[in-house]
Amino acid sequence: MSIIEVNGLQKEFLIAKRETGFMGALRSLVKREFIKKEAVKDISFTIEKGEMVGYIGPNGAGKSTTIKMLTGILVPSAGNVLVNGIIPYENRQENAKNIGVVFGQRTQLWWDLPTIESFELLKAIYRVPDQRYKENMDIFKEILGLDEFLNTPVRQLSLGQRMRADIGASLLHDPPILFLDEPTIGLDVVAKEKMRTFIQEINRERNVTVILTTHDMEDIEKLCKRMVLIDHGQKVYDGEILAVKERFGKMRTLVVDLEEAQKPLYVSGGEICKQEGNRRWIRFNRDEISASELITQISQTHNITDLTVEEPDIESIISRIYQEGFTEPQFV
Amino acid sequence: MGQLSMYWIFTRKAFLRSSVYRFEVWSRTGSNLIFLLMWGSIWTALYAGREEAGGVTFTAMLTYIVASQFLDGVNEAGTPLWEIQEKVRTGDISLELMRPFDVPLRYLFADFGSVAFYMITALLPLYILIFLFLNLALPTDWITWVYFILAAFLGFLIRYCIEMTFGLLTFFLVETGGIEDIFYFAMSLLSGSVIPLWFFPAWLETIAVYLPFQSIFFLPLSIFIGEIKGAEILTSFGIQIFWLVVCFLVLRFVWNKASHKVVVQGG
Amino acid sequence: MAVAKYIGLYFKLVSAGIRAQLQYRFAFVMRIVGMVTAYTGTAVTMWVMLYQFQTLGDWNFYEMLFLFALSILSWGFCIILFFHFRSLDTYILNGTFDRFLVRPINPFFHFMAMKFDVASFGQFLFSIIAFVWVSLELQIDWSIGKILFLLAVIVGGVLIQGGLLVIISAFAFWTTKSEQFYWVAMYPARNLTYYPLVIYPKFIQWVTAFVIPFGFVNYFPTTVILEKETPFFPDYIGYFSPVVGVIFFVISYLIWMLGLRRYKSTGS
Repeated sequence: MSIIEVNGLQKEFLIAKRETGFMGALRSLVKREFIKKEAVKDISFTIEKGEMVGYIGPNGAGKSTTIKMLTGILVPSAGNVLVNGIIPYENRQENAKNIGVVFGQRTQLWWDLPTIESFELLKAIYRVPDQRYKENMDIFKEILGLDEFLNTPVRQLSLGQRMRADIGASLLHDPPILFLDEPTIGLDVVAKEKMRTFIQEINRERNVTVILTTHDMEDIEKLCKRMVLIDHGQKVYDGEILAVKERFGKMRTLVVDLEEAQKPLYVSGGEICKQEGNRRWIRFNRDEISASELITQISQTHNITDLTVEEPDIESIISRIYQEGFTEPQFV
Repeated sequence: MGQLSMYWIFTRKAFLRSSVYRFEVWSRTGSNLIFLLMWGSIWTALYAGREEAGGVTFTAMLTYIVASQFLDGVNEAGTPLWEIQEKVRTGDISLELMRPFDVPLRYLFADFGSVAFYMITALLPLYILIFLFLNLALPTDWITWVYFILAAFLGFLIRYCIEMTFGLLTFFLVETGGIEDIFYFAMSLLSGSVIPLWFFPAWLETIAVYLPFQSIFFLPLSIFIGEIKGAEILTSFGIQIFWLVVCFLVLRFVWNKASHKVVVQGG
Repeated sequence: MAVAKYIGLYFKLVSAGIRAQLQYRFAFVMRIVGMVTAYTGTAVTMWVMLYQFQTLGDWNFYEMLFLFALSILSWGFCIILFFHFRSLDTYILNGTFDRFLVRPINPFFHFMAMKFDVASFGQFLFSIIAFVWVSLELQIDWSIGKILFLLAVIVGGVLIQGGLLVIISAFAFWTTKSEQFYWVAMYPARNLTYYPLVIYPKFIQWVTAFVIPFGFVNYFPTTVILEKETPFFPDYIGYFSPVVGVIFFVISYLIWMLGLRRYKSTGS
């Protein structure tokens, strides 16, 4: 049996329509119209114990709605969910014991108190035995480096420290499943890297199943083998990340500002996909040609005043997958 | 003229925006009605069947309190004190310093918009009904109505200056608890909004007469029920204009200090 | 035993809440000062009102002050336990409410234990001074029976007002609004009860007795303690305060749980 089973999941909401103009303003005082929105249309997938899966999609794709149904916060309109053998929304408190949840933008710690007190309160809430608590705290101190700020009030922690504390707090009761919602949002490069190492370590050493939602393509690339991609409430892709990277992630765009813009520019190994005034956008495959090779090539004929290399972000990859479809069937 | 039309945009924007908060319109009306019921009942019980007390008839007193609740509704539709405080704390007001307009004036014109919306959709229909159904002593000549509207408008401006000033004090204080309570107390008792000044003990009446708050409720309401009439009306306007100038200057002073503080210390 | 577990947990959570609040000592003191100022302001208004008229519906200033202070006293306890319920809408809107739903304990209990607002010290200060003053002026004879009755009335008053706060917060599950309902409905309604209910139209008196039982918070009990008459109601009605409180609170709790079910099907 898989640790998470999602079958034909659906969720609909009613959303109020906004009126415009003077008369609309007066009219909306009495009457308001509603539109039905299908946040999740029909999603199915299974996750095995110990897997680390990226659950991604653009804003409003239905990511957090799905997560809420998996954590028992929301009841689905249709379909089935089974988390560690429990139907979350029917048995929320039982399910809560099996899951750890971290919302990147909202801490679950007690804001005004020293960090250690949040751990003690969560110990009481989850009824973690003393012995287990001590063991876990020792492990967290080691791998999350909690020691340096355990006595600092949460509100004074840096974002990176707070995220580490939040992850520790969510694992205190040894949940077999961990939901991470944007765990690296707002962190600087170094802190992001650290955070990813922690997550990997936790996944490896405690065999925790991790479901990760994020906007950061690097999180996914570094952490997950598999990703589930959704858009407009539907699953667009479910499978190896490598396959997606192969296909879309290797394309880069070089943006150059040229001094003599009227002089025609020819590049081999890349394709000029856009031009605007002095600026040219050149799309290239990084497996075929490196950015520095391209730059050398251009500088032989033109003076470059400015340049940047754009990497495809998850949004653009998703929109490309959505437009073009994923032709090779990769569904698991 | 171009200046003025720019400020009118804030008025129009606020008018349209008010409709989004339709719940607020209903809720404010409901709460206004409960307080009308409360003060109406209190004054009915105080008069206890007497025709008049202290030289004022019961009908005139009831008219006073109903009109007072109406004015209260008008004044409360503007940006409330806590919202100004909130804007100071979050730095919204500091941000507006970078814009090419005068901030206190911009809020005043925005208030015109929300007040207009609230008046059209709730206050006027409601109070016209109340005036029709209750047996009240309304002014019989049109000029009294004009005087009342003018005095009420001056009162609105004075209230605006005072409330804005209190709100801007947030710039200088770490904690404002206590400040707003003093403001609300002065607004309700010393303005004569719930008890007319002539029922005050003499010493308190003297204090109230020398403070700006009576201009907001007591003076316009007294004009409305004919307690202030003839040449007294001129004096009353004189007092209001005097306080408007004073309160305006204080507001400008506090505002200059506050914006200076923002520019120098970054809020 | 589940109850024992919850009681222990309650004290742990509450003491955390208090320590968090005491981090902001200055704000804490200023709030107490502000509260005392505000209530004194209302008392002064009452005094000015009765300066010329002597009585309001057969109630003199001291009797009214007693009525007012009783309301403030039970409100003080209510602030400690339930006042944060009114801002449930904020918790829902910024997503922090979900935190209470991913934990293995009763969410109502968890939300209730989250805050323990000890700044209601201002309410206690004001009402106790008022009680002492009025007791001296009116020469109230505080027998053991009367004191026990007063305590029971305070419990009843806390449950009634707390229950209404719980219902108001439950509105957030349906309408995503609650704080406003407090300012629109409960705040003015509480103001009504600062004055003897006898002055209001019969319909209002009936509502405050049987629909939103605010009459049992201070008016009915005060008529018992001060031996005043209650036109339209039997004299002994004040004795029912504690019972009414328990019943009303249970109903409120059920409404809240119903709202939570609705929240789980809509998410907002």
